[in-house]
Amino acid sequence: MQIHDHPTLKAEARNLNFYYGEAKALKGINMPIYDKKVTALIGPSGCGKSTYLRSFNRMHDLYPGNRYEGEIRFYPDNTNLLSPDVDPIEVRMRIGMVFQKPNPFPKSIYENVAYGLRVRGENNKRVLDDKVEHALKGAAIWDEVKDRLSDLASNLSGGQQQRLCIARALATDPELLLFDEPTSALDPIATGAIEELVHELKKRVTILIVTHNMQQAARVSDYTAYMYLGELIEFGKTDEIFIKPQDKRTEDYITGRMG
Amino acid sequence: MNESQHLSSQFDEELSRLRTHVLQMGGLVETQVSAAIEAYSTGEVASVKTIVETDRKVNDLEKAIDDDCAHIIAKRQPTASDLRLILGISKIVTDLERAGDEAKKIAKGVRRIYENGHLPGQYGVGIRHLAEAALVMIRRALDAFARLDTPQAADVIKADTDVDAEFKSIIRQLITHMMEDPRTITTSIDIIWIARAIERIGDHAKNISEQVVYVVEGRDIRHTKEKAQ
Amino acid sequence: MQPTSLTTEQIRALIAKGKMKDAIFKGMGIFCLAVALLVIVLLVSDMVAKGSERLTVDFFLNFASRRATQAGILSAWVGSLLVMLVTALAAVPLGVAAGVYLEEYAKRNWLTEIIEINITNLAAVPSIVYGLLALGIFVYTFGFGQSILSAGLTLALLILPIIIVSTREAIRAIPAMIREGSMAVGATRWQTCRYHIIPYAMPGILTGVIIGLARAIGETAPIITIGALTFIAFLPPVPFTEVSPGVSAGLFDWVMSPFTVMPIQIFNWTSRPDPAFEINAAAAGFVLMAMVLTMNAIAIYLRYKMRKNIKW
Repeated sequence: MQIHDHPTLKAEARNLNFYYGEAKALKGINMPIYDKKVTALIGPSGCGKSTYLRSFNRMHDLYPGNRYEGEIRFYPDNTNLLSPDVDPIEVRMRIGMVFQKPNPFPKSIYENVAYGLRVRGENNKRVLDDKVEHALKGAAIWDEVKDRLSDLASNLSGGQQQRLCIARALATDPELLLFDEPTSALDPIATGAIEELVHELKKRVTILIVTHNMQQAARVSDYTAYMYLGELIEFGKTDEIFIKPQDKRTEDYITGRMG
Repeated sequence: MNESQHLSSQFDEELSRLRTHVLQMGGLVETQVSAAIEAYSTGEVASVKTIVETDRKVNDLEKAIDDDCAHIIAKRQPTASDLRLILGISKIVTDLERAGDEAKKIAKGVRRIYENGHLPGQYGVGIRHLAEAALVMIRRALDAFARLDTPQAADVIKADTDVDAEFKSIIRQLITHMMEDPRTITTSIDIIWIARAIERIGDHAKNISEQVVYVVEGRDIRHTKEKAQ
Repeated sequence: MQPTSLTTEQIRALIAKGKMKDAIFKGMGIFCLAVALLVIVLLVSDMVAKGSERLTVDFFLNFASRRATQAGILSAWVGSLLVMLVTALAAVPLGVAAGVYLEEYAKRNWLTEIIEINITNLAAVPSIVYGLLALGIFVYTFGFGQSILSAGLTLALLILPIIIVSTREAIRAIPAMIREGSMAVGATRWQTCRYHIIPYAMPGILTGVIIGLARAIGETAPIITIGALTFIAFLPPVPFTEVSPGVSAGLFDWVMSPFTVMPIQIFNWTSRPDPAFEINAAAAGFVLMAMVLTMNAIAIYLRYKMRKNIKW
């Protein structure tokens, strides 16, 4: 079935190369990210999917010896996220990230969520209260924590911690949310809750998610990109990728065959 | 279609067992159809019993294969070519089972005609030719499935047009017969039923071939003017 | 090919053999530990036995004296505490800042490599060398004289490498994902250090600080080198009190005051011919030891309390 909708572009990788020192980790990636859609990145370990994801919020700038080539265009303002003229902090203020392992700060639940706002200089208690509540609701964890906002975040379960981290990212209203294997450390129930949340979130934010779990990619995403050895092998609608991939390498990967 | 090995050799075994079962079921249906045609020509009413018994085996196989498909979906969450193979098989077995039912109908019709003391041969229509064409279709559809051979599947789909045309011409002939001599009406109707069953077998063979195209290429060519190739 | 499976008897024999080695090693370990502990217990109990008769309130409240029975350690313990205060105030901000800079800001290049090697080496420099350095710089060049300030800064230099190294170790123990988590919401490096790195490294830094101070409080050589007095019968001026008619001391006047410290007092007493002073030395040694142990206890308590909330 062909559905001809034309989603708007939120971001677009153009001829993106990335180097860890001398090693080329991403090779000429061209790929669109559509607005208010979930795009999944799949591929075997070491294929560069996390490297690609972390290029979007310039996480590689934290470590020496990393180098980008090419562009990631960010719309509607058509900023090149990778430009040396664009401050990585500006990029991270617009693009949130959720990590592989839940990484709440060893502070209270409230402070974890409020952190992004404090970093932006917001100290008005009423504004903070309001935004913290809103973010926690957005991350579907408000009901579980509303009576213990001053408890340490580390007392929460793994799944709750991860939703707290999502709330932390949501508190600052990002335009794009990056998920780096967000459920790899969680049990199936907690995983299901996160997947449900991703589905809710795409109403308000564009999502790019790296996952090792192909079924998860199939369940949560609208578009899927298959990467292998630093290259983008295939990009397409998730429905099509999982039923009729165009490339033999995609086929072999998603059906669990040896290369 | 992907012929390389899965990381899970057990999954490979499950899939190949499934395909073997489908071919086994296909073989049984094929014998049913050819036995029914044989009975039509020779009046060997005894073979009708065998055909009916074989049908029971075919039904059991259909249930077993569907069950295996469900298990594989639950356990392996197949995707892409694997998913299409499972979906295709679960539809192919439905068509095979129905083709078997049609063979049973032919056999029962033949028995009725002979028991009434008539000889279908007297009607001189091209039933035997039609039946052989349908039999070839079934055989080649199964072959296309076994070898995942889309050109062959395309041939089968094309052949169905001929079978349909031939069926219509048989009906016209029989109508002429009945108008000329109303005493032939009872037998003619039986023969129409038989011709209808044969034509349906051809349709099932065509459906199976369409599934083969889907399994191999991921294109759904049912109810379309789209060519198999 | 040999059959690889073992019979039950063989397995049991193997386990028995392994367990015997276990037992031997365990015995040796206990023996070594006992020797070390015994030496400490003997030292302390010897000091207590010898010095117990002097461990009275007067001993803490009396100045040094020519008569052993009247001599006390007032100026020494007050001096030690004040010197430690200056040392801590100087070494902690410098050491923590240097450690944070090296871990969080400095680029990895040959310059930082050299700095790192030098810091490690500094920790191994004999303390008397620091004394000589301080004599030249603080006492003469800066003109601080033979004061609490000079002594405090000298000891601060001495323990700076310890604090830098422990700060860096504590920072390295913080998982990268915490730093990334902070940066990912758009924080600057400084915000990340201020809200996360330094607070979470605090227990480790504190341990380093106390270990450093515990070492500094026992140092004699550099303090003697810069010329601490051995016989002091007065205390540094208390801020805002009248020191001479009509003149009251300023808030920081005490830092320029001459002073003595515990180890020097002990050294002074042991070098006297009158054996009665040996009792004083033993008592003062016990007090010094108690001070060090108290500092360690505080360090352990604070570390425990702060670590309770830091989990990842």
